[in-house]
Amino acid sequence: MASDNVADLVGERGDREIWKVEEGKVREFANALGFDDPRCTDLEAARAAGLEGLLAPPTFATASTFWMRGAPPLRKAQFDRKRVLHGEQEFVYHRPLVSGMVLEGTPEIVDVKQKEGKRGGMMTFVTTEILWCERESGEPVVSTLSTILETAPAK
Amino acid sequence: MESPGFEDVEVGDTGPELVTEPLTRTDFVKYAGASGDFNPMHHDETYAQKAGRPSVFGHGMYTAGICSKAVANWVGISNMRSFRARFVSQVWPDDVLTVRQTVAEKTKTDDGNVVELDISVENQNGEIVMTAKSRVALPSRA
Repeated sequence: MASDNVADLVGERGDREIWKVEEGKVREFANALGFDDPRCTDLEAARAAGLEGLLAPPTFATASTFWMRGAPPLRKAQFDRKRVLHGEQEFVYHRPLVSGMVLEGTPEIVDVKQKEGKRGGMMTFVTTEILWCERESGEPVVSTLSTILETAPAK
Repeated sequence: MESPGFEDVEVGDTGPELVTEPLTRTDFVKYAGASGDFNPMHHDETYAQKAGRPSVFGHGMYTAGICSKAVANWVGISNMRSFRARFVSQVWPDDVLTVRQTVAEKTKTDDGNVVELDISVENQNGEIVMTAKSRVALPSRA
């Protein structure tokens, strides 16, 4: 059950994470989804296109969340695991994400919404954003916004 | 990869459809390994059935990845400015997914020539399993 003061969680942050974008991981991800773009799998093709590494597919950044070491700030919402769903996932691209980049980002809860479920009871939506920036230059590369929801309790 | 020019598309135009092969458990397992998402619901049949599901089902982000591929195939990854997927329904082994994309809006902004795409992913029964939106910047031919 979501904690009573769940709206107060906006601004809640997790630990700062470092993410090294590995070439093999980009290729594996592109292959798992069947991307034909040779810039995603062939370093020569990527370099010929002016990129310094393999070009990550558009949803690649979400994978970083499964390797993060820190506790996600969402944990403070105290959701009931049995009622948790991934509602929405958004990416905002600032520059091409390529292998070899070393990024840093800090997960932060940026939005909390509650609304009445169709069969009564409260549904809670929590959106966590990570703005990944290049560690050295501080230049933004990609933002991930993940909305997790807790469905209303069964009657 | 060649992308259409800003002048080449109009509101209401549709991009190329993407139709998958029937999905397999191997597809889900490959995605689990690639993404690091090892929720057993997506690869462990025994676990999924104990939880009351007929079988394992695909990661929502697997479907989102397929959906993003349709956009990338049309306009090119580096022209995408944003991508947002809404998870509607589950995707099962043997499902065949069709991704459709339509130009919803066209604007010239300081950020360039921006086109908003509305995208849907449908299974073989005509049920929508995902809706998505993508903002893309297209080069001007002018």
